[in-house]
Amino acid sequence: MALRIFLDFIRLALKALSERRTRAVLTIIGISIGPLVLVMMSSVVRSYSDYIVERITSLGQNAIAIFPRENYRLSEDDLSFIRSMPEIMRAEPFYSTQALLKRGSEEIRVSVFAIDYNLLFEAIGSLKIMDGAVPSDPLGSIVGKKVAFRGSGEQHFALGDVISLMVPKIEGDKVVGRRNVNVRVGAILEEYGGALIVDPDLTVFLNPEAGKKLLGMKSWSGIFVLTRDPSLVKGVVSSLREKYEDRLQVIAFSAIAEAISSVTRAIDFINFSTSLSAFAVAVAGVAATMITSVMERIREIGVMKAIGYTSSQILLLILLESIIMSLIGGSIGISLGIVGAHFLSLRGLVIGGLELTLMLSPKITIDLIARTLLLTMAVGLAGGILPAYRASKVPPAVALRYE
Amino acid sequence: MTNSRRVLVELAGVTKEYKVGEISTIALKNISFMIYERDLVAIMGPSGSGKTTLLNMLGLLDRPTQGKIFFEGRDVSKLSDKELAYLRNMKLGFVFQTFNLVNRLSVLENIEMPLIPRGIPRSVRFEMVKEAILKVGGEIEWLKKKPNQLSGGQQQRVAIARAIVGKPSIILADEPTGNLDRASARIVIETFLNLNKEGHSIIVVTHDPEVANCMERIYVIRDGMIIGQYNANPGDSLLSKVPRA
Repeated sequence: MALRIFLDFIRLALKALSERRTRAVLTIIGISIGPLVLVMMSSVVRSYSDYIVERITSLGQNAIAIFPRENYRLSEDDLSFIRSMPEIMRAEPFYSTQALLKRGSEEIRVSVFAIDYNLLFEAIGSLKIMDGAVPSDPLGSIVGKKVAFRGSGEQHFALGDVISLMVPKIEGDKVVGRRNVNVRVGAILEEYGGALIVDPDLTVFLNPEAGKKLLGMKSWSGIFVLTRDPSLVKGVVSSLREKYEDRLQVIAFSAIAEAISSVTRAIDFINFSTSLSAFAVAVAGVAATMITSVMERIREIGVMKAIGYTSSQILLLILLESIIMSLIGGSIGISLGIVGAHFLSLRGLVIGGLELTLMLSPKITIDLIARTLLLTMAVGLAGGILPAYRASKVPPAVALRYE
Repeated sequence: MTNSRRVLVELAGVTKEYKVGEISTIALKNISFMIYERDLVAIMGPSGSGKTTLLNMLGLLDRPTQGKIFFEGRDVSKLSDKELAYLRNMKLGFVFQTFNLVNRLSVLENIEMPLIPRGIPRSVRFEMVKEAILKVGGEIEWLKKKPNQLSGGQQQRVAIARAIVGKPSIILADEPTGNLDRASARIVIETFLNLNKEGHSIIVVTHDPEVANCMERIYVIRDGMIIGQYNANPGDSLLSKVPRA
């Protein structure tokens, strides 16, 4: 019976709104701005932040990269010390440099990493070989997909092909020019996707011994470390920073992900706060509309009370009108927000320094929509409660006298 | 004559005082009054005499400043607003001078308004509405129309249908013919008399003696006090003076 009464009240509320269509439509437009902004901005920010965090965490939650700062050289002693730490599962040195790769008539910039292959695949779990196998010969390399394939999808280097890399020529500790080194394509990786920090798609991986010889580097570029458990990363980073102070740069990928997460959370909060101001304006709009509506219908409310409607039923009836407006406004705002988010994400996000443009679909989740709709309903409740309360408290005899 | 009938409403020493700031106005002074089953009563008096306030007291729309109101023997001062609303819905029907119909709703939706808080299914409501509109001499075709598509007399009959659709024991009418021409007024009064024959008590507030003379008893009120009670004079009634339309 209560449900039947409720459904009848919804019908009456809809009829009341349809009588003052223009005012209701304008109020609904005002309500829709908040959810529009919230859904559009949040879904885009979240899609970028989730992607960036996911990319960084894919590099290994238990991974730490150690780089020597200027004037410091990593030694066997450092490696032994690191390996001796009980939290450390593996620690391997690596060489890295930038190189120019000749691919037909074009030259592309690639990274060269000489690193233990087992450690590489262990650290970057989602890295997969598309073609070939881990090379065992010293001149064999593993190349990223964008090294072997042009942007058009046409394959330029196949397994067994020799690729020519222009690498820095090092004498002593100084770069004195450039020289060519040739390596063989032993395996091609599956596309990894827009990576951050390390971009495997545009990298040539060598084994450390071959790397040392081919690159002519006398000291390690860094040490790649895997802890036994991700929870141990913070402790290891602290210990290393304490021991080496500013001689080493210690980067934990999980810490970067955490930092980015906190930044995007802050952006999300700012965005939420901004949209709240739109919601606040909507509350005022709903309140103004409903107060006017109640004043215009005070005699009608008196009649309803005279024929047996209780104060709480009058309150519910008036409140339903504002909630219905907010639900319609919320639905329109959310729909427009979804469309707007897709338009906004078409612009892409350019990550400066990495020459990377992310083109991602906005992250529209049920949770985001439900929370936005609830917030919009709260607008209806907040805007409607005072007029509804006032209407419910008008004595019927007074309401019937009202001119 | 009326003593053999059951008392429905009793006003015992009711005073109603309105205060606006420092100024107080006494609308009713120590009024004692009874409404019986199948009563047919007119309340007459000049403007500002307290007629509508008295009707509001009888209709449980207002609470007295002093005195008591008993509804079917229950002291209504002890009832909550929700209980009063329930009594108004189940036992009372109201008819107003300006009809007070909601123009955005159809005639059907207007008439079924008192049935909605009872949770009566729509199909049952429709049957009750049809019965009510026919009882007041209306037509089924009106149900689809909006009130403002009907004449004043027709609208008042719709308002009466709304008042009786919930089968109340008492119908309270405040100047029900005040906005109508004589022919329409006659139809409305005839409708009230027919409803009275079916068992409803009818209380009509009017300042029109020809309307009042259609009732059985006439109370005259002035300055918030009942100054006289008379039996009606059918020879001087609207029914005897205005021919059927």
